[in-house]
Amino acid sequence: MDKLVGLLKGIFKDTDGESLGKNRLRVTAPRGSVLAVLDYLKASGFYQLKSISCVDWMDENEFELVYHVASMESPLHLMVKTRIARDNATFPTAIPIFKNAGIFEREIHELFGVEFEGNPDLAPLFLENWKEIPPFRKDFNMREYVKETYDSIPSFEEYQWQKEN
Amino acid sequence: MAERELELIFGPQHLGMVGNLSISLNVEGDTILSARVNPGYLHRGFEKLMEYRNWIQNFPLVCRINMIESEPVEMVYAMAVESLAGIEVPERAHYIRTMIQEMSRLSCHLTAAWAYTSILGFDTPAQWAMGDRDYLLDLFEELTGARVYHIYNMPGGVRRDLPEGFEDKLLAFLDAVAGRLPDYNSTFFENRLFFERASGIGKISAQDAVALGGTGQVLRGCGIKHDIRKLEPYAAYGDMDFEIPTREGGDAFSRVLVIRDEMVQSVSILKQCIEKMPSGKVYEKTPNPFKWKIPKGETYVRVESARGEFGLYLVSNGGNRPYRAHFKTPSFVHGLVILEKLLQGANIADVGNIMLSLYVIAPEIDR
Repeated sequence: MDKLVGLLKGIFKDTDGESLGKNRLRVTAPRGSVLAVLDYLKASGFYQLKSISCVDWMDENEFELVYHVASMESPLHLMVKTRIARDNATFPTAIPIFKNAGIFEREIHELFGVEFEGNPDLAPLFLENWKEIPPFRKDFNMREYVKETYDSIPSFEEYQWQKEN
Repeated sequence: MAERELELIFGPQHLGMVGNLSISLNVEGDTILSARVNPGYLHRGFEKLMEYRNWIQNFPLVCRINMIESEPVEMVYAMAVESLAGIEVPERAHYIRTMIQEMSRLSCHLTAAWAYTSILGFDTPAQWAMGDRDYLLDLFEELTGARVYHIYNMPGGVRRDLPEGFEDKLLAFLDAVAGRLPDYNSTFFENRLFFERASGIGKISAQDAVALGGTGQVLRGCGIKHDIRKLEPYAAYGDMDFEIPTREGGDAFSRVLVIRDEMVQSVSILKQCIEKMPSGKVYEKTPNPFKWKIPKGETYVRVESARGEFGLYLVSNGGNRPYRAHFKTPSFVHGLVILEKLLQGANIADVGNIMLSLYVIAPEIDR
């Protein structure tokens, strides 16, 4: 694990690696070099992209993209992270490196509103006729939305009152 | 554009479709030119809802991500909380967890066997599989109080100890189901009709399976020995003696036979669990759930569910509820990427066949 971090630091100057317990490695890279890091990792045996997660750090006005990559033979699981600006968030697609990246990017585009440049298919995945801000952002209030859209369930007293009158 | 191309919407209301999923197919004659999967019929936004509830309140929520097999989801969430909060689990709880994981795997495989056999028209083994699963649900009910959503795993162990005489009942069930295997074999797995119907269907190469993010049976059906239980033993899997069944074909037939061999392995693991079960407590005390704050951090944990790798990326910002949870479900890639690829050039009659051989469970995709 330390060897891999050393290698990565040697090639990509501004990356940082940190162990997160057994078999877990967190690699932090700046926006510009994260795809190059992924490409390098793929060439060194981490063939499979497991998932891409997005975390909304609203107070810092940033989104965090987490690429989960793993190899088939070793139990090591890598989380390659980068931070991007939250307003008009854009990021280049990872499809040229990992063939299955498109579907994860489509999910993040729908739920967080990150625009992936070069991804040909960013159609809505789960939601239909969605008109609000992307729902998984921290500033989307789910409880308010449910109240406005579906009306609240009457309390027991209200219900009794409605029945009697 | 082909000359007589038609668009055909397959599911969610369709006889050949198990689960709430729709596929729009572009067909010419009865050959599929291209397919596009439309998920979202069961999207409930669990990952967002989890951000509104405290650590313990999330347990009854997460298990509903997968109604066929709720155990790995609970387990993965419990393991993630334990890893963030630094809780040690007692030895006996590890064994009970292993046992319930395997029971759940067996019940999921039996459900899959029911769905797969009935879609191909083998009605008798389908009824047997559903019947056998029901005995397992009875055992679940006795152990946890619920048949489908058990809410049995908790951070620090499991909710309660095994009831008296539980091991004997489980052993009796295992003997019964193992005794029925020759019948399953002769009516289904070794049946000529099944071979004709499934071999060469939905074929994927090992290279593609890895590149597209396949796990579980998709990889093992291509001859890749990949199993989280061996790669990174969690719970008590390190003490268990079992094999990873693989097949070389990469088609629906190979994947289904891998499922059958896994059932045999599950029975053996369950027997070992009962044999080696240590004594001791099953639960490590955790703080008051209303005041429980978990230190800032992030973790990725994974287990081998019946369908492949089930992972959870959990982030805490030091509060009393998760800051972000993201599930890596096996059906997400199998259903949205690999299924679309395998359907190209297939026959309309094989849509359900290919989908079920990939073990796609729709609620897991939508979450």
